[in-house]
Amino acid sequence: MFKHFRDIAGLIVLGCVTVVGEASAAGMAEPWQVDLQTPASPVAEQIRSFNAILFSLEALITLVVLGLMGFIIWRFNAKRNPVPNKRTHNTALEILWTVVPILILVVVAFPSLRLLFFMDRTQDAEMTIKVVGHQWYWSYEYPDHGDFTFDSIMIPDDELKPGQPRLLAVDNPVVVPVGVNVRVLLTSDDVIHSWAVPSLGLKTDTVPGRTNETWVNVNEEGTYYGMCSELCGINHGYMPVAVKAVSKAEFDAWSKNAKQEFARNDGQATHVVQAVGEVSQ
Amino acid sequence: MSQANKHPWHMVAPSPWPIVGTISAFVLAVGGVLYMHEDIPWILAAGFALLLFTFFGWWRDVVREAEHDAAHTNVVQQGLRVGVVLFIASEVMFFFAFFWAYFNASVPAISFAAQTQWPPADIVPLDTWTIPFLNTLILLTSGATVTYAHHAVREGHRDKAIVGIGLTVLLGAIFLGFQIFEYGHATFGFTDGIYASSFYMATGFHGFHVFVGVCFLSVCFFRARAGHFTPRQHVGFEASAWYWHFVDVVWLFLFCAVYWWGSFGL
Amino acid sequence: MTAEHHPTGWRRWVYSTNHKDIGTMYIVLSMIGAIIGGGMSWYIRLELAQPGIQFIEDTQLYNVLVTAHGFLMVFFVVMPAMIGGFGNWFVPLMIGAPDMSFPRMNNISFWLLVAALVLLVIAGLTGGGPGTGWTVYPPLSSATFHPGPAVDFAILSLHVAGASSILGAINLITTIINMRAPGMTMHRAPLFVWAILVTAFLLLLAIPVLAGALTMLLTDRNFGTSFFIPEGGGDPILWQHLFWFFGHPEVYIIIIPAFGIISQIIATFSKKPVFGYLGMAYAMCAIGFVGFVVWAHHMYTVGLDVNTRAYFVLATMVIAVPTGIKIFSWLATMWGGSITFKTPMLFATGFIALFVAGGVTGVVLSNAGMDVALHDTYYVVAHFHYVLSIAAVFAMYAGFYYWIGKMSGRQYSETLGKIHFWASFVGVNLLFFPQHFLGAAGMPRRIPDYPDAYAGWNMVSSIGALITAIGTVFFLYIVWHTLTRGQKAKANPWGEGATTLEWTVASPAPFHTHEELPNMEPAQAGE
Repeated sequence: MFKHFRDIAGLIVLGCVTVVGEASAAGMAEPWQVDLQTPASPVAEQIRSFNAILFSLEALITLVVLGLMGFIIWRFNAKRNPVPNKRTHNTALEILWTVVPILILVVVAFPSLRLLFFMDRTQDAEMTIKVVGHQWYWSYEYPDHGDFTFDSIMIPDDELKPGQPRLLAVDNPVVVPVGVNVRVLLTSDDVIHSWAVPSLGLKTDTVPGRTNETWVNVNEEGTYYGMCSELCGINHGYMPVAVKAVSKAEFDAWSKNAKQEFARNDGQATHVVQAVGEVSQ
Repeated sequence: MSQANKHPWHMVAPSPWPIVGTISAFVLAVGGVLYMHEDIPWILAAGFALLLFTFFGWWRDVVREAEHDAAHTNVVQQGLRVGVVLFIASEVMFFFAFFWAYFNASVPAISFAAQTQWPPADIVPLDTWTIPFLNTLILLTSGATVTYAHHAVREGHRDKAIVGIGLTVLLGAIFLGFQIFEYGHATFGFTDGIYASSFYMATGFHGFHVFVGVCFLSVCFFRARAGHFTPRQHVGFEASAWYWHFVDVVWLFLFCAVYWWGSFGL
Repeated sequence: MTAEHHPTGWRRWVYSTNHKDIGTMYIVLSMIGAIIGGGMSWYIRLELAQPGIQFIEDTQLYNVLVTAHGFLMVFFVVMPAMIGGFGNWFVPLMIGAPDMSFPRMNNISFWLLVAALVLLVIAGLTGGGPGTGWTVYPPLSSATFHPGPAVDFAILSLHVAGASSILGAINLITTIINMRAPGMTMHRAPLFVWAILVTAFLLLLAIPVLAGALTMLLTDRNFGTSFFIPEGGGDPILWQHLFWFFGHPEVYIIIIPAFGIISQIIATFSKKPVFGYLGMAYAMCAIGFVGFVVWAHHMYTVGLDVNTRAYFVLATMVIAVPTGIKIFSWLATMWGGSITFKTPMLFATGFIALFVAGGVTGVVLSNAGMDVALHDTYYVVAHFHYVLSIAAVFAMYAGFYYWIGKMSGRQYSETLGKIHFWASFVGVNLLFFPQHFLGAAGMPRRIPDYPDAYAGWNMVSSIGALITAIGTVFFLYIVWHTLTRGQKAKANPWGEGATTLEWTVASPAPFHTHEELPNMEPAQAGE
């Protein structure tokens, strides 16, 4: 049954995509993009295929209802139909338009819940990273690789190097290995932020006083961008997320290096601790 | 009342009280902010005084319309009763928010942020079976006395009604006295964390409602003495009785949830 | 009529106890709110027309504009127009009552809203303003991150507006329950009356929860409590639960009166009674009821337990069923009718189109899994503007054109009305449809600047905003034109399709109506 829906969905999505050209270059949006960003993780892929089901149903329902309305406007306007009938009941019809939507929703509910439970958390994570939201930057901790931590701050417009996307590029992206289940723990040390990367199917709020959990497994090497997705104050628009996915070997090399560079007792880590202290006062 | 003969509804004359009441609400709000940020209490106090003046003037008019204009026909009385019930329904939802806050803090199944221990370790809650239980008995008794007064009003026994209402006012005042005493002797203050916040907010707003109910019943006491309540027409008293029962029921929930269940973790 | 009951001059308005005058004041207040709130949104769209910062250098100001736009449009534009304005005017007329149940309380409901609006303006102008979004989430709204008085003014503004709404709701419910004319049973009451009844119940039960939450936020900010502050054992998510327990019914408070208006208009211009009347009435009740048990679908990303999210997915989907019943019943009402497309009917059909488009994206968003991609993006902005903003505003325009003859005694110009419709329809779709694309592609809400990839559709959207703005200014001209140049309206300008009681009284409706109660017993009402 789902397969059938996917076929229809595929056709409709194909129609839309061909109009604007295949969305490519994973990691961020393209000019004039109309669809979800190209998926780069199992969760994002499933979101995309579920969206195809939803979109096809959505488009179908809209077209049917608006088509019907168009027909009624054409057929039953006062010129063409000067004498109205007075029919106000049709039990069969009323049952039909109650039951059919219920059936459609039941059909949607199964893949919806499957996706929800799939994306919730991973049982077999190989490593953990910790994300802390701050006004207005992110910091990342690597408890499994020597417990180093660093801040990730947006590069201002006038310091951008060629090829770095405006409002998205950061000084230190969070680095993860491809093909590995990464558990992500999230919290905040001031207000609520939301850590989001559309192409990886990630969006989880960082809430002070709570630790939320999500997970990611990046398919391919590359840099994937997102932006803070919960209003967090004056620089809410200026705290992007950048996830750099590298091969396992490259990751190991990077983490060894980073352990030295971002050792726990350097200035930035203290800075984080201070920020926590300020809030609790 | 030129149309009085054509329909039974009350066409209220234009009134200054709504705009005066609005001004008082505005002054209260501005005064509240000035009090909280600049420590200026006078504007807040002025707003409060104007609000009391509005209440007095508005309800004086309502009483006059009932007593002298015969404006409160049976169907108008019915409307007033419906209005009171709806108002009480909205009040129930107001307390719903505070109970939600209380359970959000104390039941881990409701919130990941709930305390694992309730009451929290640093809190010594009030002893359920002393003043709180006594206050429960007092309020339940007052529910009985107000019902006694209600029956008396319906049967036209003015003297019994006055006694019933007077006793209810007295019991309400005693309840408030105990509540103030209890607050004064609690080992935790309003600002001592989530237990204290939810305890004082819920019981404090309840106490405020008891105070309002006592005022309402006191007005009814004097109206009963003035002979305003007849077996056919006594909406004002009925409203105060219903309000009192509502306050009573909220207390039972508070007693069970906050005082009693809230000390299970000790 | 005694002079006492028909005062003149400023007392007529300030001391009013007349449902029509108070309704008119509500509509005027709504227009003032719309000019301020609409102006803010056009300023926002101007900034967003191109990437980079062009106009609003102060990002706190940007956040305040976003916040105030939301507050204004919800509490001071749509609600006063639909519930206070049309509800006040036409509920008593439609049920055959001479006025509201509590005419004096009716007046304080209106004036409190004026006070709330002034408080909101003060909030916007003091200490940097409340840059919290209309959802006022702590800790951003707490004393640590918004130390000035602005958020306190905003809280008190909402308290006062809430008191106004609760009193208004008590008044409307009592009027509908208690003051129907002889023979006007609930099952004979027009659907607009049903819509207002359901809405008033939602207000009555939802607003006090917001009031409780606001009170806790106020004491957190000023008196050292810790309801929403983690350091004291509080929980910021509690605020979101309480806010959305109010906030979700609130969105139905906005749209259900629109359902009522649209039902009246479609029946009138199709010259048919509403199809499936009882289904329509109880669908609104069902929507109202379900509206109270779906609140956490606004909170799919905050870290709720996965089973909780699964429940809210299923509960939210249920809403699509009664909503579908309403759409299909409107189409079935039109089916077989003899439809004239006067301006109100144009706006009503436009409403259905917009509401269907906004409704299906609601089904998309109800899925917690899908919502992870779309939450807090422009897709959500597009969704709720389709249903709450433009569908609701189309219903308000429809109601205005439908009833302005009854209210003012003068009829609008059909040509001008049609121009207004087409300008609005093109404008709002150009404005909001591209926002689906922006959201799907990942553009977050409430940001003053955006990555360059989003430039194209943002420009299109801003052009749509310009067209909508021109359409709205044109509407203000139509209001002026109608009131000064409009032709005299007949008691019933719409003919045989208009069967409700307001069309039995003269236009403009006299100061007091139904002084002799209409008898709606079937024997007499059958004419």
